[in-house]
Amino acid sequence: TGGHTTEVLRLLSCLSESYSPRHYVLADSDKMSEAKIRSFEQKRAETFSESQFSLDRIPRSREVRQSWISSVLTTLYSILYSLPLTYKRKPDLILCNGPGTCVPVCLSAFLLGLLQIKRTIIVYVESICRVETLSLSGKILYYFSDYFIVQWPDLKKKYPKSVYLGRIV
Amino acid sequence: FRFKDSLAEELQSADLVISHAGAGSCLEALEKGKPLIVVINEKLMDNHQLELAKQLHRDGCVLYCNCSTLVETLQSMNLSALKPFPPGQPEKFASFLDKVLGLQ
Repeated sequence: TGGHTTEVLRLLSCLSESYSPRHYVLADSDKMSEAKIRSFEQKRAETFSESQFSLDRIPRSREVRQSWISSVLTTLYSILYSLPLTYKRKPDLILCNGPGTCVPVCLSAFLLGLLQIKRTIIVYVESICRVETLSLSGKILYYFSDYFIVQWPDLKKKYPKSVYLGRIV
Repeated sequence: FRFKDSLAEELQSADLVISHAGAGSCLEALEKGKPLIVVINEKLMDNHQLELAKQLHRDGCVLYCNCSTLVETLQSMNLSALKPFPPGQPEKFASFLDKVLGLQ
């Protein structure tokens, strides 16, 4: 969604050609991100000849302030939905920065790793908005990601396994 | 006006920006080098939105007030005391990833 997409596209801005093809996963209810992504990829195609990307949509795992119990159920549903997608794409690397959408995708990749089907490196970058506390996605994926990046020193202190590179967006 | 796609033009020509504490709004204004006053409405806001506004204030990059103190803030503000907001460095992220993936 909106702010997350803008941040993640900034993260992608300096990546080399090796990071290709790029598969974007969006929530089905997200209306704004697709345009931002296409615009980003279009600009990228001006510099790099090999610009392959795809867009997939999954059911949104959780609405803002949705109740705890129904969130668990909708997230489970999203994980089931993401499994075939993750299996099909078998990504080498997953990069995410916190929208609810990323949790089922990462958990399905983690599961495929446990089942020895595909080992995906999961990189989570917490949003720049998070100075003192982690988002809910962050609290969950802190335990499932290979690299957990925070953008403020307070969080590095509270979550020692995280990586602090300063502000990167 | 409310739902224009981008306020970039207006931001570019502004001398002062007064905004709510949404991260996108704050960062856009700061990145364009505009002095920024962040107005907090504690009743409406998500706690986490406050985190960034508070940090920016601690760093001396923005002025900070609530709806009732806005006028007072405008009257007494010293915009030249505001510190510049250095841009983020996505290249550090790219280097980090290249290194951990063995892509150097």
